[in-house]
Amino acid sequence: MAATLAAASGRAPLPRLFSRGILALVLGVYTIYQLGPFLWLATMSVRTTAEISADPYAWPSPLHLDQFRTAWVDSDFATYFWNSTLVVVGAVAVLTFIGAAAAHALARYRFRGNRIIYGILFSSIIFPPQITLISLYQILVDYNLYNSLFGLALVYISLQLPLTVYLLEGFFARIPQDLFDAAKMDGYGDLEIFWRIVLPVGMPAIATTLILNFIQLWNEFLFAVVLITDPEKRTLPIGIRAFMGDHFQDIGMIATGVMISVIPVIIVYVFFSEKLIRGMTAGAIK
Amino acid sequence: MAVVKLDKIVKRYGGGGPVVVEDVDLTIDDGEFMVLLGPSGCGKSTTLRMIAGLETISGGTLSIDGRVVNDVPAKDRDIAMVFQSYALYPHMSVADNLAFGLRRRSIPNAEIERRVKEVAALLGLAPLLTRKPSALSGGQRQRVALGRAMVREPQVFLFDEPLSNLDAALRVNTRSEIIKQHHRLGSTMIYVTHDQVEAMTMGTRICVMNAGKVAQIGAPLDVYWQPANTFVARFLGSPPMNLMDATLAAATRRAASPALDAPLARWSDGVLQARDGRKVTLGVRAEDMAIDHASLDGAPGGRVTGRTIAVEPLGAETLLLLELPGGGEITARLPRHVTATPDQEVVLFFRADAAYLFDAETGDAIAPLETGAAAVRAAVQRRTH
Repeated sequence: MAATLAAASGRAPLPRLFSRGILALVLGVYTIYQLGPFLWLATMSVRTTAEISADPYAWPSPLHLDQFRTAWVDSDFATYFWNSTLVVVGAVAVLTFIGAAAAHALARYRFRGNRIIYGILFSSIIFPPQITLISLYQILVDYNLYNSLFGLALVYISLQLPLTVYLLEGFFARIPQDLFDAAKMDGYGDLEIFWRIVLPVGMPAIATTLILNFIQLWNEFLFAVVLITDPEKRTLPIGIRAFMGDHFQDIGMIATGVMISVIPVIIVYVFFSEKLIRGMTAGAIK
Repeated sequence: MAVVKLDKIVKRYGGGGPVVVEDVDLTIDDGEFMVLLGPSGCGKSTTLRMIAGLETISGGTLSIDGRVVNDVPAKDRDIAMVFQSYALYPHMSVADNLAFGLRRRSIPNAEIERRVKEVAALLGLAPLLTRKPSALSGGQRQRVALGRAMVREPQVFLFDEPLSNLDAALRVNTRSEIIKQHHRLGSTMIYVTHDQVEAMTMGTRICVMNAGKVAQIGAPLDVYWQPANTFVARFLGSPPMNLMDATLAAATRRAASPALDAPLARWSDGVLQARDGRKVTLGVRAEDMAIDHASLDGAPGGRVTGRTIAVEPLGAETLLLLELPGGGEITARLPRHVTATPDQEVVLFFRADAAYLFDAETGDAIAPLETGAAAVRAAVQRRTH
């Protein structure tokens, strides 16, 4: 009766209101948990280190927006930003294309050694990437690629390719064979089918790997700090480190640098997040 | 339009792998609607995919209009196919799905647009052209799949169980739509199904397949009334034909067992003499069984005795399931007023000319005197009594 009355008056029944309330509470707490550090960072980015030391949690007053100009112009963040963009966008573009092509081949074609190649790729995910650091350093030196953005991009591609292929292969294998057969009957060859069917249909998974790779490589520090020593070729994570001295850390400028570094990640996420969610939940709902 | 000829076609997976299609000989005439019918795993879809060019051919020759196409890629065979899963491109609109195959063939845009609009109007898809497949119902998706094949105006249409995913009402509608389009286009069509109703109602001819081989080819009624073997006899018809073990006595022209006594009026003396005293299988369709001897109208008839297992009143008729004394079960389709209690002894009658005879070892039909169109006429006449 209560449910009927609630429905008649256009209100949700009490148990549903309660569960929605719980859900809203959980989501609210989680949002604060996630957003809190970011807002704190944002406030610190427009405060000086002295102000932060006096009161780490105070609201910024006055706003030191000039810190962004200082970082961008005086501390050469413009160069670091450009270097990071060049390396990461290049690496992610190549990763996405080669990863998708390899994943498609492994998912769709039966050839001798298919599973062996897949196994080798998969096994390389298990090992921590640090164990390849010294070898890669030596290889880059041997091929005159040490201290070069191109060399760093190549390393990034090799680091992320196994995971990219692994994620995409799982998704591509679920694309029904009938779609490929239909495209063949419509007159298309293998390459055209890859271009016109696999890539568009696999876009949620491709967007997922694209975001994951972009965030991972944009924030990558270890390989960049070992393989790049030339100040002109620094990427953003190494640039931010320049504000850290042995005895003094310029917290305000570090926060400003991190904010500059975070903006592209947010832009990429905003553009691709819908597809990312679809990629993550693919197969969950028929 | 085209003649499709399969000459001893074989499909084997791997080097020495299992043979899934074996020596299939089949000629599909220009404008014919051929139905490949059989149970799951009988090789009918594999045969269709070989015709399409989606599976390699392990042996034999496949030709279309006299041109051998064994090694011709699917895209160059001028064949369109409608898939069971519809196989619509999910990222394209209905219009793009229809036009996709035409764009590959360098057809001018104006012509593509004309064809797409024409087919859309024919199939009632005009209001849906801008929608994505995900925004369509099952029936609409199936019509788009059909339209995608039609818009290409191919030599041959292939259908791989296209109605399996539709509900009963939509299946009937779409079946009519395909028949209508076949009459309008007059194209050669090859249709794979495991549904005997689809086969009987749609096919110009039926090719019944079993275990990778052709069991029988013929017009639907010919196959129904003159099954070549026990497999076809039981596969076509619902309920399936009743098959009963018996011993043949040529002198009395009868097949008999403890439960059965059947006069064999349709076979020549020579045929009966050759099998005198041997085991045979006697077949009678459920609808040819009667519970009342008077319904035979004085014609010579056989009788079979069993005990009731189940009575299924269907409203318009009643199905009676009997267990025979020597083992085996039979089903009779009887008038709706018939009732029986469980484990009751029941005697059923059938006209002598409604009986079929099969070799007990091979399952092959033993040909009666009357075959071909005459046999079909006789069977239909028998049914009208």
